[in-house]
Amino acid sequence: MNAITATRTPAQAGEMTYLAAISDALREEMRRDPTVFCLGEDIGAFGGAFKVTDGFVQEFGAERCIDAPLAEGAIIGTAIGAAVAGLKPVCEMQFADFISCGFDQLVNVAAKLHYRQGIAVPIVVRLPSGGGFSGGPFHSQNPEAWFLQAPGLKVVAPATASDAKGLLISAIRDPNPVCYLEHKGLYRHVKGDVPSGEHLVPIGEARIAREGEELTVIAYGSSVRLALLAAEELDEQIEVVDLRTLCPLDREAVLASVRKTGKALVAHEATRSCGVGAELAALIADEAFEDLDAPVRRLTAPDVPIPFSPPLEHAVLPQLEDMKEAIRELLAY
Amino acid sequence: MSSSPTEGAAASSPAASGATGSLEVVMPQMGVSVAEGTIVEWRKRPGDWVAADEPVCDVTTDKVDVEIPAPASGRLERILVEPGATVAVGTALAVIDAGARPGEAHPDEHNGQPAPDQGGGSPATEPSTADGRTDRSGFYSPVVRRIAAKHGINLARVKGTGIGGRVRKKDVLAHLAQGGGPAVSQEPMLHIESPYRPEHATAPAGSGSPGPGAPPSETATGLAGAVRREPMSSMRQAIARHMVESRRTAAHCTTIVEADFSRVAAARGELRKPMARRGVNLTYLAFVACATVEALSGHPRLNASVEGDELVYHEEVNLGIAVALEDGLIVPVIRRAQRLSLEGMAAAIGELARRARERRLEPDDVHGGTFTITNPGQFGAVLATPIINQPQVAILDLEAIVKRPAVVEGPAGDAIAIRPMTYLCMSWDHRALDGADAARFLGAVKDRLERWEVRQ
Amino acid sequence: METSDASAVADRRIRDVAGVHLTREDRADLLRYMVMMRASEERALTLYKQGKVPGSFYDGRGQEAISVGAAYVLAPEDRTCILHRDLGAHLVRGVTPGRYLANYMGRAGGVTGGKDGNMHFGDRRLGSVGMVSMLPDMALVAAGMALSFKLRGEPRVAMTFFGEGSTANGVWHEAMNFAGIHRLPAVFVLENNRFAYSTPNELEFAVDPVERARTYGFPGVAVDGNDVEAVFEAAREAASRARGGEGPTLIECQTMRMHGHGAHDDMRYVPKEMFARWEARDPIDRYAERLVTDYGFEPEEVDELRRDVRAYVEECAARALESPMPEPEQATEGVFAAAFEPLGDGRAPWSHWRRNGEGSAP
Repeated sequence: MNAITATRTPAQAGEMTYLAAISDALREEMRRDPTVFCLGEDIGAFGGAFKVTDGFVQEFGAERCIDAPLAEGAIIGTAIGAAVAGLKPVCEMQFADFISCGFDQLVNVAAKLHYRQGIAVPIVVRLPSGGGFSGGPFHSQNPEAWFLQAPGLKVVAPATASDAKGLLISAIRDPNPVCYLEHKGLYRHVKGDVPSGEHLVPIGEARIAREGEELTVIAYGSSVRLALLAAEELDEQIEVVDLRTLCPLDREAVLASVRKTGKALVAHEATRSCGVGAELAALIADEAFEDLDAPVRRLTAPDVPIPFSPPLEHAVLPQLEDMKEAIRELLAY
Repeated sequence: MSSSPTEGAAASSPAASGATGSLEVVMPQMGVSVAEGTIVEWRKRPGDWVAADEPVCDVTTDKVDVEIPAPASGRLERILVEPGATVAVGTALAVIDAGARPGEAHPDEHNGQPAPDQGGGSPATEPSTADGRTDRSGFYSPVVRRIAAKHGINLARVKGTGIGGRVRKKDVLAHLAQGGGPAVSQEPMLHIESPYRPEHATAPAGSGSPGPGAPPSETATGLAGAVRREPMSSMRQAIARHMVESRRTAAHCTTIVEADFSRVAAARGELRKPMARRGVNLTYLAFVACATVEALSGHPRLNASVEGDELVYHEEVNLGIAVALEDGLIVPVIRRAQRLSLEGMAAAIGELARRARERRLEPDDVHGGTFTITNPGQFGAVLATPIINQPQVAILDLEAIVKRPAVVEGPAGDAIAIRPMTYLCMSWDHRALDGADAARFLGAVKDRLERWEVRQ
Repeated sequence: METSDASAVADRRIRDVAGVHLTREDRADLLRYMVMMRASEERALTLYKQGKVPGSFYDGRGQEAISVGAAYVLAPEDRTCILHRDLGAHLVRGVTPGRYLANYMGRAGGVTGGKDGNMHFGDRRLGSVGMVSMLPDMALVAAGMALSFKLRGEPRVAMTFFGEGSTANGVWHEAMNFAGIHRLPAVFVLENNRFAYSTPNELEFAVDPVERARTYGFPGVAVDGNDVEAVFEAAREAASRARGGEGPTLIECQTMRMHGHGAHDDMRYVPKEMFARWEARDPIDRYAERLVTDYGFEPEEVDELRRDVRAYVEECAARALESPMPEPEQATEGVFAAAFEPLGDGRAPWSHWRRNGEGSAP
């Protein structure tokens, strides 16, 4: 994996990568609102491990693009303090995996302050997540399910460049702590048209990425792309629901689609047990039982740490063939 | 395997291949000089299960009318000779699949082949629980059941294209689109109890009154003079079929008791207004229904069915109440009627009648009855001989309640009083009951009604 | 934050004392292991650039003296948590270059069998607990191992390494604090290589970690991290204290990272002059020279030693390249242990352990 510099152009419309869209959103908000600032390791002079904040120090100065010490707890904890005092910090965990080092601050302080004392904590925690490039067990995780078990946190996971921008801006403007999962595999592989200027995607709203009558794939993040590819290659009447937000979940969109097709496959790269898929399967069984023509299935990684060696990692992370196979099986049921 | 001669048939077909293969039903020789016979009526349809020795059809010859029993147990596969046709002795009339087992679906009813084995999934997905080789034709998913229930579709007749022959949602929707539901005219199915499978509407569409869909009446002149033809509605045809079958099945007798309704009338007078305020219309029928249900608990034989050689006693009383519709009748059922109070019974009767007239009955509403009461109305008829609602063993008819002079016994001797009287007419099946049983039961009903206290 | 002048004086003093404890053979060993680390990492980087190493690549170029010098003091029954720029410690304790390269290449024969990559390994048969990415979590693990030695009254030492960036982290504080409270037999080797990824010292801490050790209740000592004997001596003294029940020591090794944080880092944030200054103090070249000038080695002897090591590393690389990838089914194996197995002992090449047997204080 070589260092590739992201587009350094100023905010613009048109086609851009997922990664550039994230930069764009951040830049736009920092220009619009002087209380927005960034905090993370190596984001200043170095421009960030993935170059999302490349050029930010030059434009906004070192006090709005702060190089944090190697201390995730400090990053999240100080962000909380700054936020309740009126600033809008956008934290970066260098890898989503490292959230565990700041977990206490996130789930016990940020998530619960409003519930207990009516104090809003408008922080965003950017979490580069996901595997597929031999990152090994500590650089490949999809830890979103952890956050879903901490009421008080909002969790979003864009799958397209346009949503990456729109959701980040919405997250920054949301008065609650928002965990923003940016899948590393999508950074440069996903391109799309991104509206220039202010572009908001509401938090809590799913999107129908593809319409179909026979089967619904409910996905988010990296799995959306996989589902769309599979549907096209199989050339079947597959509906793909891109959740976009994991908490609060757009239950109605999910249920409406499943009621229409009668068959549901939930797909995510995160591990299986007690993941988002498990929650959706329970929701569907609970509220759309009489519309089901087949059991609800899940396509996920198995319950193992993500291994490093390519054949092992390939066997663990859901691949396009796995998606096609799962869809085929469910269609035939 | 050597073929064993089948029993019961007067002449075994040389084609008989043994107890597990196909067997023919043949025209028997009923007398030395009889050369041929005519089919009058088939009692079984293709697909029906027949027991060995069970009559499958009625045949008439010069000499005698006879029922033809099945040569063996199995499924009636094909009927080869239609009613009205005259054939020579020894002709094959029908084919029975003696290898079939009861409860099996007819092979034609689902021809979904088992799906090819799906093989092992990747480690990232759970293993498939639907093995392509397992027969899943009898499994119906929630949505399939829901759609079938809503449209009155018999799922056994829907072809399944899912794994293992499973009926999928798209299969049942396709079935519906091809007109595979009940009567095309959208009339609610008249599911009269029958030992046979529910009717499959084969009759041409037609509603009770000649509507736009009804073929135009033809006027033609025949031997009896000018006639007007009108196709019978499917409900009418179904009623016709059921009544004839019922008469053929049961050994009908009718017993009648006379009941003094003064106590009932008094009770009704007191309770009617309070109940009306609660939205319940208290009819005489409700009283009779309650008395009947109570009596049935002491006379369980009246709440039974005949199945072959067995009497099947039902633990619940599912009381059928015949409801007259403009063009026929339907018998919705009050389930577990034994638990209802007078008010509950009156409410249930009212509700069912209302739904029946509004054509909002579901197939489940007309199934599972164990005893029927019919009350055609206060038109003045005093006696009737109703036909039993199969597979029940009795039916009670409540006719007009008429004020009559009656002898009453008092301390000063006999006197004449004016009393509201009625005849409770019960037809019953002599296969299951004898006259004494019937009379005892009716006596109990009469007694109950004549001793009615308001507070009970 | 340069301390070269002050530490140079201290180093000379330490070096003189060190002379007592190292035989000629030990000295050759020190060079040998440093060269082995350098050669192995260069080979691995080449493989990485050839696409044979998936994921990321990290090395400790320029820091060889630290891991080799520190690990050389360890007894077989001592335990280690070795970090990503401390390959030398792995080699001293018995991991072969072949297994290291196989691990980088994700082969079944790598130390983790493909489960984890680059330097995230520790051979448990050699008494090493593999690192995680979250730094400095291993400092607490090392403290825990030290605790067990103390509770059982064993004269054993737990040694761990971390960079100066880690000292910004709460976990570092907790590890130091706990070790100080309980006077644990831990040796904390701090490699101050000037940059935590791109972040310089002044953005990681306000007070030098060596001074902070005092606030945790134990001594901190700064040494020239590019002088293997200085590191060795500091570690020897620290281990000796620990075995004697005197508690932990923090050894700050001053050095400079000659490569980027990883192969994907071009080090644009390093001032050129700074880089040149440190490059001139390459630990391997310096020690090779000193072997000749101070310890009577022949130049050819030294050259041959270096050649032999490189040849050995090449051989290991060739074998590693041929070794198979793991089977996909293995991806889901080993999540849980069936039974507890204690860690094994590491190799202890220091002559002292052959002379005096286990556990005796030198």
